[in-house]
Amino acid sequence: MATTTQNPAPAATTAEPKGKRGIKSTGGVMRVFSHGFLALWAAMIILPLLWMILTSLKSNDEVFANPLGLPSSLHFENFGRAWEKAGIGGFFVNTIVVVGGGVFFTMALGSMAAYVLARYQFRGNRFFFYLFVSGMMFPVFLALVPLHSIMDSVGLLDTKYGLIMVYVAYSLPFTVFFLTSFFKTLPHGVAEAAMIDGAGHYRLFFQVMLPMAKPGIISIAIFNVIGQWNQFLLPLVLMPSEENNVLTQGIANIAVKERYDPDFTALMASMVIAMVPILIAYTIFQRQIQAGMTAGALK
Amino acid sequence: MATVTYKAASRIYPGSDKPAVNKLDLEIADGEFLVLVGPSGCGKSTSLRMLAGLEDVDEGAILIDDRDVSNLPPKARDIAMVFQNYALYPHMTVYENMAFALKLRKTPKAEIDARVKEAAELLQLEDYLKRKPKALSGGQRQRVAMGRAIVRQPQVFLMDEPLSNLDAKLRVQTRSQIASLQKRLGVTTVYVTHDQVEAMTMGHRVAVMLDGLLQQVDTPRALYETPKNVFVAGFMGSPAMNIKTVPLTDTGAKFGDTLIPLTREQVAAAGEGGQKSVTVGVRPEHCTIADTGIAVEVELVEELGSDAYVYGFAELGNGNGAERFVVRAQGGEIPRLGEIVHIKPQVGKEHIFHAESGERIAV
Repeated sequence: MATTTQNPAPAATTAEPKGKRGIKSTGGVMRVFSHGFLALWAAMIILPLLWMILTSLKSNDEVFANPLGLPSSLHFENFGRAWEKAGIGGFFVNTIVVVGGGVFFTMALGSMAAYVLARYQFRGNRFFFYLFVSGMMFPVFLALVPLHSIMDSVGLLDTKYGLIMVYVAYSLPFTVFFLTSFFKTLPHGVAEAAMIDGAGHYRLFFQVMLPMAKPGIISIAIFNVIGQWNQFLLPLVLMPSEENNVLTQGIANIAVKERYDPDFTALMASMVIAMVPILIAYTIFQRQIQAGMTAGALK
Repeated sequence: MATVTYKAASRIYPGSDKPAVNKLDLEIADGEFLVLVGPSGCGKSTSLRMLAGLEDVDEGAILIDDRDVSNLPPKARDIAMVFQNYALYPHMTVYENMAFALKLRKTPKAEIDARVKEAAELLQLEDYLKRKPKALSGGQRQRVAMGRAIVRQPQVFLMDEPLSNLDAKLRVQTRSQIASLQKRLGVTTVYVTHDQVEAMTMGHRVAVMLDGLLQQVDTPRALYETPKNVFVAGFMGSPAMNIKTVPLTDTGAKFGDTLIPLTREQVAAAGEGGQKSVTVGVRPEHCTIADTGIAVEVELVEELGSDAYVYGFAELGNGNGAERFVVRAQGGEIPRLGEIVHIKPQVGKEHIFHAESGERIAV
């Protein structure tokens, strides 16, 4: 990668006068550094993933005999074993339910709250905005013990509803923060046109503003899916019984329980299963995520 | 169809003591095309938005057809508005954009379809009905915005600088289209622009505003011929009128060596309050280049083909040094740069204003 970026620089400098050469070559050096750094970063992320996928297809003996090599034959039964015996299937369903509910309610409540905070002037607007945003200030560890006792006392401990509610509360601050600034960037004229066309507040929001905010909504939704999918600490504290475990907990349990007879290939297969939905979501919505994250910054 | 009446309507933005629109009194007749014109920040857009219901009416009232709409929401006023940036719904097709308002009013599907198709035909948009605004040119977007207003069949059309995002040629073309469309539909229209040429060419009547105050409202010709004050005189007409403040004598206004004769009444009115000078306006097209007259040193000639505008400097003997002067020259008599030409204002075409108040002094 470094050589390809370096190539055009000397070619250009031969034709350029001397004064410009210095500037150009510093640009070249910077590019080599930044590309080199990105390449290193990519390698650090991709190589362990690759190793995980390869290991998930090996036999348990092969993991120790040839840890870095390619699998001699593909052992897809590892995935079956992970799904059935290690109980990943159940964890998977739990995760889908909790993350699905969590993201749905986060987006529904977050987009409405952000819209009102961004578009309507009223007393206390700033107060509510900062109230939401201040949620980002506190690390989740601070809330763990009180959360546990609150959930316990209202009878929501170890239930999916309870965890969904906690996820929603946990995700709302950033969602509201992000979407408020997103709604502010949308043109005022369109809202005014809709009001003159006869739209009331609800119709204006659901039929005009929400569709216009789609790039922002999608990117923050994906962000929340990833965040809630990877959540480990909250379910660990709030979902103690095994049949309620989500993927992250379940996988950690497999690793802990099989201390003396490790089934590494099934563990790796479980991790691949846990990773696939996120990877697919990210691949599909890549364009929207980028568009949403850079909205307002470009143009 | 409806009349529109502003009754001493004011808009005072919170945190400001100076009204953006100050006691606007204006009556717009049924089917009239009224243009609000003025420099930026003069309150013309605010006046329009007050009528649309997008701005509060802090004092006074606004009536549509004798119905006080001052406190009604926009959707209850039966108006349609065309915005400067068109404000089309980006996620809807052209058809959906035009049909949206009708859908909200629960108009039967067949009627929506008929009205949208009719408007599309009128505006030559039939081929674009399935496109999203993103895939349209600026002129097409402008027509969709017009179409969205037309299908509503509202009582009043409001247009907020709808042509300012178009290129010059398209603007001139669309200008005449809008004017003829309005004539055909016969809907009362309030049109905001900062371009006095648009105002002159489109409006049945033109209302000139400055600093939130209505300066004058009249037909384009009347504004051109009898501007009420110095501001209107300088604002209407292109290039702008030569407005100079010069010494006042017993018989007229003294332009250097040239005297523009005034009647005794005019001299008396101009001298009111002990004034020793008078403001005189002469349009470039009402000057002729002659052998004697105001001496002007030519600085720039704008050749337009049929005629030319000569820009130069003249000493007027009013203690202001050399002042800018513009004259229209006919095809044959175009002077060269640096040349000294003599200018004679046509008798009876000059405009006389009080030097301090800027008010017109009638002949």
